[in-house]
Amino acid sequence: MKRIENWPVWWVPAAALAALITFTIVYELATKGESILMRPENLLNILRQVSFVGIIAMGMTLVITLGGIDLSVGSLVAFLGGIGILVMNSLLAGKTAEWVAVAAAFAVILIAGTAAGVINGLLVSKGKLAPFIATLGGLAAYRSIAMALVAGGEYRSQSTELFATLGAGGIPIPGTNMAPRAPVPVPLLFPWPVLIFAAIAVVAWIVLNRTKLGHYIIAIGSNERSAIYSAVKVDRVKVLTYSILGLCTGIAALLVASRLSSVSSSSSGTLYELDVIAAVVIGGTRMRGGSGTIVGTVIGVLMLGVIQNMLNLLQVSVYLQGLVKGLVIIGAVLLQRSEKA
Amino acid sequence: MISVNSVSKQFGSVRALDSVSLELRAGEVHGLVGENGAGKSTLMKILSGLEQPTTGDLRVKGTVTRLHGVLDALQRGIVMIHQELNLVDELSVANNIFLGREPTRFGIVERARCESEARRLLDRIGHKLDPARRVRTLSIADKQMVEIAKALSYDASVLIMDEPTATLTQHESDALLELIDQLRKAGVTIVFISHILPQVLRISDRITVLRDGKFVTTLDSEQVRNTSERELATLMVGRSMAEHFPPGKAHRDSIAFSVEGISVPARVENVSFDVHEGEIFGLAGLIGAGRTETAEAIVGLRRRSAGTIKLDGAPVRITGPIDATQLGIAYLPEDRKDAGLTLNMSVIDNTTMVSLPRYSRILLDRGAQRRATQEHAIRLRLRAGALEDPVKTLSGGNQQKVLLAKWLEIAPKVLIVDEPTRGVDIGAKEEIYHLLQELAGQGMACVMISSEMNELIGMCHRIGVMRAGRLVTILDGQSATEEQIIHAAGLETATA
Repeated sequence: MKRIENWPVWWVPAAALAALITFTIVYELATKGESILMRPENLLNILRQVSFVGIIAMGMTLVITLGGIDLSVGSLVAFLGGIGILVMNSLLAGKTAEWVAVAAAFAVILIAGTAAGVINGLLVSKGKLAPFIATLGGLAAYRSIAMALVAGGEYRSQSTELFATLGAGGIPIPGTNMAPRAPVPVPLLFPWPVLIFAAIAVVAWIVLNRTKLGHYIIAIGSNERSAIYSAVKVDRVKVLTYSILGLCTGIAALLVASRLSSVSSSSSGTLYELDVIAAVVIGGTRMRGGSGTIVGTVIGVLMLGVIQNMLNLLQVSVYLQGLVKGLVIIGAVLLQRSEKA
Repeated sequence: MISVNSVSKQFGSVRALDSVSLELRAGEVHGLVGENGAGKSTLMKILSGLEQPTTGDLRVKGTVTRLHGVLDALQRGIVMIHQELNLVDELSVANNIFLGREPTRFGIVERARCESEARRLLDRIGHKLDPARRVRTLSIADKQMVEIAKALSYDASVLIMDEPTATLTQHESDALLELIDQLRKAGVTIVFISHILPQVLRISDRITVLRDGKFVTTLDSEQVRNTSERELATLMVGRSMAEHFPPGKAHRDSIAFSVEGISVPARVENVSFDVHEGEIFGLAGLIGAGRTETAEAIVGLRRRSAGTIKLDGAPVRITGPIDATQLGIAYLPEDRKDAGLTLNMSVIDNTTMVSLPRYSRILLDRGAQRRATQEHAIRLRLRAGALEDPVKTLSGGNQQKVLLAKWLEIAPKVLIVDEPTRGVDIGAKEEIYHLLQELAGQGMACVMISSEMNELIGMCHRIGVMRAGRLVTILDGQSATEEQIIHAAGLETATA
């Protein structure tokens, strides 16, 4: 008897993983192993690059499994990072201790991010708006506010170093030395964003697969009517799920701002929503909801990161990178469609 | 004309049709009867190209044919009119008739031509209707006529009608039957599927009876003339029914649950009844009489414009299933697949959906969920491959058992079951009857909504009959007869 497909379309991430490995091998052969692709510092760099999108993608997996979508995450990154820096700078100007100012900025970003998620959740549940429309509003609005506050310019951190620690720093890996000729060894750093991404991935997996909330998310995404008839607090679950995504977006915004000690109101977080949704889809989570996979999304995130890095190393124009991403997304969705046959 | 020969259809583990043969002759009205779940719809889906038979063949004009979808069937002149009509509410009558085949000139729809041709078709069936009117504004009978006009526009030689008169008034039904007679004289073959046996006997040249997915018999015109309604019903059921209902116990004297004067605008009007502890209270009536709407209003799925619900004599506030569940009122909807269960989730997940908070302490206790589900599975004699399998792999009867288990999980005081045996095979039906009697015996107050009158008579202490949103009478379950229910429900017999 035909296996009844219940879990996420596992062969989509499997295909993604296979493609990833194939790409890497072909690339390595083509460059005769002289490429820096597989060097530890480059791999860590890729991981750091993808962790921002990856953290948001964890929340997005929950939202898409719920049968929703959130297009506002990219703009929200710029907005949250921007206001965080504004708060911090104004506290620093008022001679507040640096660590207090930095902590306040982090708190503001996380709280505002969660609040933005709550708003999206309320619009979708109580407001009965289509998620696409509700969050399209956020996509336009948050970017607009971020740009209006600095007239399209940049938010620059006035913190000397502390603010940048989380985004740009990491844990020294013992026994490594990046600068052999320097008088003191400079160890390779395992980036904080990667660790945070990993921790959030574990939590997201537990939430989706081992908690009441996760079961309700799957139930609502599978059949909302049935969930209502089953006395599931559907509105509450929706608000909660969107606010988890908001919190994830806040964490990502914090790391993005911290990484460069600045936020560009016009370009920070641009098209993050595309990358995030792409990663989720490539991972095999069903766009129509009801079934999602955190592991798949992690693979999707890595795949996008490696492709981007290869394209960079091959010096493919950044303008063409969107094309490659687009093809990958369409390929993944085509694979998903074949499940029905 | 068209025939199917020993056709079978398998859905997962369920055999919906088992080697059924049917032959349609040109220009006949062929009645098709059977209980719910007898396989009528599946057979018609095969005839109209919606489903492919698992085994057996379909012959059109003598040659073995494979229908590739509805369009293919349409092109061969086979048109099916579904019970829930397939019209686009926002389009005009004319646009609906020619949907997808609008006469165009330079790519622009010629509205005038569309409407004049629609008018000609409507005239042909003797129905006065403005082709420019929006379908939304039409009565169900008018919509039915639009469907027939649409069918004729395809040059239908075979017209399959699924319960066409189920929601029509007596007068409208008569008009439709007359039209069917006319079409027959014009050489159209008609398959008339209906539960309303007097109409089937009156209009059909021949009648085929299905039971549990199997072919029972085809009555020829001579036999049709000499068959009574009761004899036809016996053929459908296969035996006289009453003996298979488990004996019920007398209910207790205390009233567990009362509904006082609840109304839902345009659906339910001032419905009141009491249910005693241990009582099974039936709700009978036609489709659209407001039975489901009453149940939905009780649990707060529909907004009540008036009325009070009392539990053990005290008024309770119910604004939705969350409140109802907390008060111990469970509603098992008739739409098992779309409202009752989450088909792609497992038996365990479905069973513990309502009671999930009990298994959650930050993390879910999956072992406890499984054990609880296992207990229900044994008690209800659930036949499922594994408890981890999605419920969509289960048969209708077993799905119904999962739905029951899901609500028994919260140990309800009041159990409202809506069409609990629809699409359920006979064996599982009897198990469900036994279970309901057992639950009532333990003091649970049950409300049972059903379209199968013998089931209500066999199971219920009292039967409330609804008609056009009102509870018109309450009959004693011991002495009630199908005739009494039919009469109260407003379904006149064909001789009326």
